[in-house]
Amino acid sequence: MTAVNQERSFAAALRYVLRPALLVPVLAVAFAALVGLVLIAMIGVSVPKAVAAFIDGTFGSPFALAASLNRSSVFALVGFGFVLANRANLTNVGGEGQIAVGGIAATAVALYGHVSGFPLGLAFILPMLAAVIAGALWGGLAAVLKVNSGTNEVISTLLLSFIGVWLLYWSVQSPALLRKPMTSSATLPESLEIPDATQLPLLTGDYSFPVHIGLPLTLLLAIVVGVILSRTILGFRLRAVGLNPAAAKRAGVSYARTVIFALSTAGALGGLAGALMLLGEQYTLKDGFSSGYGFDGLVAGLLARGSILGVIAASLLFGFMRSGGINMEMVAAVPTALVVVIQGLIVITLAGANLFIEKWERR
Amino acid sequence: MEAVSPRPAEAVAEPLLALSEVTKRFGNFAALSDVSLDLRPGEVHCILGENGAGKSTLCNLIFGVHRPDGGGMRYQGAPFLPAGPADALRQGIAMVHQHFSLVGDMSVVDNVLLGRERGILDRKGCARQLAKIADQYGLPLDPFAKIEDLSVGERQRVEIVKCLIRDPRLFVLDEPTAVLLPAEISALLDVCRRVAAEGRAVVLVTHKLAEIKQVADRVTVLRGGRTVATSSEPSKDIDALVRAMIQGNVEALDTSAASILGLELVAHVDHEPAAKAGIEALQIDGLTVKDSQGVTRLDNFTLTVDRGEIVGVAGVEGNGQSELTAVLAGMMASTGGRIHLGSTDLTGRSPKEITAAGVGIVPEDRHAVGCVPGMSLAENIYLNRLDEFTRFGFLNRTALEREATTLMQRFDVRARGPGALFSSLSGGNQQKAVLAREITLPNLSCLIAAQPTRGLDVGAVAAVYGHVREACSRGIAVLLVSSEIDELLTVADRIVVLYRGRIMGSCPADPARKDAIGAMMAGQPL
Amino acid sequence: MTLELFAVFLGSSIRLATPLLLAGIGEMVSERAGVLNMSIEGMMLMSAFAAAVGAWGTGDPLIGLLIGIVSVVPVALLQACLSNTLRANQIVSGIGINILVLGATTLAYREIFGARSRAEIPGLAKVKPPLLGDIPTFGPAVFEQVWLLYAGVALIIITALTLRYTSIGLAIHAAGAEPKAADKSGLSVTRIRYGCVVFAGFMASLAGAFLSIGDIHTFTEGMTRGAGYLAIASVIFGKWRIGGTTIACLLFGTATALQFQLPALGVVLPNALLIMLPYLLALLAVSGLVGRQFAPATLGEPYRR
Repeated sequence: MTAVNQERSFAAALRYVLRPALLVPVLAVAFAALVGLVLIAMIGVSVPKAVAAFIDGTFGSPFALAASLNRSSVFALVGFGFVLANRANLTNVGGEGQIAVGGIAATAVALYGHVSGFPLGLAFILPMLAAVIAGALWGGLAAVLKVNSGTNEVISTLLLSFIGVWLLYWSVQSPALLRKPMTSSATLPESLEIPDATQLPLLTGDYSFPVHIGLPLTLLLAIVVGVILSRTILGFRLRAVGLNPAAAKRAGVSYARTVIFALSTAGALGGLAGALMLLGEQYTLKDGFSSGYGFDGLVAGLLARGSILGVIAASLLFGFMRSGGINMEMVAAVPTALVVVIQGLIVITLAGANLFIEKWERR
Repeated sequence: MEAVSPRPAEAVAEPLLALSEVTKRFGNFAALSDVSLDLRPGEVHCILGENGAGKSTLCNLIFGVHRPDGGGMRYQGAPFLPAGPADALRQGIAMVHQHFSLVGDMSVVDNVLLGRERGILDRKGCARQLAKIADQYGLPLDPFAKIEDLSVGERQRVEIVKCLIRDPRLFVLDEPTAVLLPAEISALLDVCRRVAAEGRAVVLVTHKLAEIKQVADRVTVLRGGRTVATSSEPSKDIDALVRAMIQGNVEALDTSAASILGLELVAHVDHEPAAKAGIEALQIDGLTVKDSQGVTRLDNFTLTVDRGEIVGVAGVEGNGQSELTAVLAGMMASTGGRIHLGSTDLTGRSPKEITAAGVGIVPEDRHAVGCVPGMSLAENIYLNRLDEFTRFGFLNRTALEREATTLMQRFDVRARGPGALFSSLSGGNQQKAVLAREITLPNLSCLIAAQPTRGLDVGAVAAVYGHVREACSRGIAVLLVSSEIDELLTVADRIVVLYRGRIMGSCPADPARKDAIGAMMAGQPL
Repeated sequence: MTLELFAVFLGSSIRLATPLLLAGIGEMVSERAGVLNMSIEGMMLMSAFAAAVGAWGTGDPLIGLLIGIVSVVPVALLQACLSNTLRANQIVSGIGINILVLGATTLAYREIFGARSRAEIPGLAKVKPPLLGDIPTFGPAVFEQVWLLYAGVALIIITALTLRYTSIGLAIHAAGAEPKAADKSGLSVTRIRYGCVVFAGFMASLAGAFLSIGDIHTFTEGMTRGAGYLAIASVIFGKWRIGGTTIACLLFGTATALQFQLPALGVVLPNALLIMLPYLLALLAVSGLVGRQFAPATLGEPYRR
């Protein structure tokens, strides 16, 4: 290759990297982070100290790193679901509720009878499957409503989120459901801890670096979802229904089946995310279990603009941001709400920049 | 090109609006280049041109919807650059748009009041004003009827009254006759004359030559965004104007294409009767459609189409054609009646089953039902047969694009390549692609085409009907739904007329029967 | 149920329905003009917080209310700019604003009030209307309410009359149903939609202030708890009409009131089920056969000439 050619391909690569679809999200994150720094200064905390605490919480220890990665897996699963449903022009904002019902189902199965004694990993696979099914049903419910009565899925998945979260509250409040037996009046409203065998195996087996098998599972699913969307007739159907439902129907694509597939798959991924949280990190179900992770996953999906790699990048970003934020609150007394502010700013900036990106890409 | 500047004898009337070398670009596409034009009070000035010649863009510049990129406009002797429709309206320019701009679930009065009055509405006063205008121009209207309950002709009247009530100095009508009945068209042209006689300037955009002969004082012809001819004696220069419009020899025009232009050289062309003629292919028996409000949209529609026969369904839009094609395509449920293709019962079948049975459908609304504009040409050209390119759920894009390229060549679909975004194609090429898809179904035995030439230029119209005729000669039964009588007369063997969901009558496609068909379209039985 | 208990139940149903109603009517106007305003939740939260801080800081709930109203103006303008000028996805931008406001108010609350303190905040006065207030039992329990409630009812009536009898009503209807027609009649679709979003923000600010300084006289983090989404659901259930939306809001208010009334009646139901009830009802309401046919034709679509 000649020098000129090399130069040209370098310029082309640079243009590719600097194209707005990539550049704008990076700028949005940078802008939001900058606002975050200003806010830290405004509330009177030393910025270097806060930043040090933030970094310490993300990469400071193997434990922190593992916690961030586990959290990122959860966000990514919800994000994949969002992207998949979004191909069919469906906006799944029900991740929070899908995580909640997934958590309930996983807990119920993990604590049920002799499940913990099952061999071959079934002890943790069965609770995961239960969570997947519960999430799929939760998402599928919104799909059925949409198909049968045209209910906007944004409203239904949002309302289902609230209902799911209160269902979880109910199930840990009621001794008839999952609340652990009350031994004293001080017994917390939470479930029993799930047995060791039902907990997700750690990759290294080392508790100082507790990355569980959720991470490789998420990467595998990233490939599966990516291939479905780009290479299969299923992905084509999602796209056709999303772009023009009437033409898709005329071409023999079933609107109802496609919508139900899309939203229940998104729900299943959300349910699985709930299972990872319960079986991999929290081990007991308690009020506030979903911790807003459903919305973080949604934001990751939005940020990605339809790209699976984008979801992974955004999930990693938010996973580490959450960890950093928690440490910042503990060490530097900066409320974690700061991280929420930064996330909100990222979403708004990107939503606003969409017109610019589209105009640029159309040139 | 003839001189655009007024001749001495005509210089008496000062131009009301003068455009000089106006240019408008959308991206890299020049919709108008260096167009000059002047409009005088008291004249009906026709703008003639094919689809895509820049007629609508010109109107939108005058009305302030778009701003010119070059050149200038003068209105009443002063430089003119309307900031938007509001500004143009304030300065006495009113416009009837090609597509209705009425709010369907509002009453006539409310539509007229929209944007015109501030504060508390005086609906009764407005109704009185409407009655006055109605009398003056012969445009009767029920002021409190909802727009969605009105016929197309009545809606057009509302649009015109909406403009006239503003007492405009310049009145622009962008293809106002495309959807009207013959009788309604002459009434409209009559209104144009009356409005001009009051000393207003009228701009009438059209591609129909008959209208020009009837009403125009002067004509400007646009082609490819440029003025290519002008005339002050249009009825004398008509041949030259047509030649300028389509840049070619009128005699060499395909007859179906000529009919679109309203040229009176149309004679019905008998195509070779196919070998299998006389064998019933499509049988529609008592088909009835009621909508969700219980209103009958299609009433006991019974029709048989033989193999190798082209049957035309004429009628003003909104008389049941959409329902008929939607039911035949499996997109809508019928409430009664049966559909058979040969011995196969197609009643209530899904679109997929109907396609599999060998029925090709060219839907009336290309963008809504016919294609997915956001997908590639290749995906669209095989939209209903992608299963053939799928193995174990995986789509073979290489094979798909290869096959699509073959079809593109066969049907002369021009695009950057099979991967081009469908929405980037011109209307004509999009329609050719849709037609290619439907007409190449492996076991095609019946083709249903609804308004297949809408919005296409002359060349594309000729190509579309060429393919339809070719299919017919292979023994395919063709049902052609169109609101253009001239086209049906040219292409079809037999015509049935739909009026308010019922068949008003049928007759052979003989140009001599045009008046009778027009009468049936207006609801008068034969 | 005794008459007294019933009166209290009725009164608290109306009180709990009020924020939904105020926000719901604002949202309805915005949706009629074609803007799906998901940020109603964030707008309410913003105002609830600002009004609480204002009332606490100045000691005057009226100034608090004004601060609440003013605080929502930038939020509403942001939403209007995103959904009109920048033609952003209205759902995404709305949710983004909700996240931002949740974070910002929580952060500011911690800074101003400290982690767990619950400052006593002066609230808006109650009024006892003549005649109605003198009805035995029902007068005090049902009609003696915060004055903002009555002001809100008056505002809703004015809104209804404006929509029905004035050019503003026509313009809003046209902007949502057929924006091209509005544009070609010389109206600015953008201006109409900006106006409607700001109006929705104003109504949401009253709703938010009612929550914090009208009803419970305190602010808690994320205190709207989805009330904005309930307001959106009530618009759908009410088929984009004032009467229907009002009925839906009263229904959700009643469901919320049950949460406090049923235990008083000795009916033992799981607490979570009662809290969930309004959301469950809202879900049932929007999943009835409403369909799209009542929605403004261009709801959620930015207008482009």
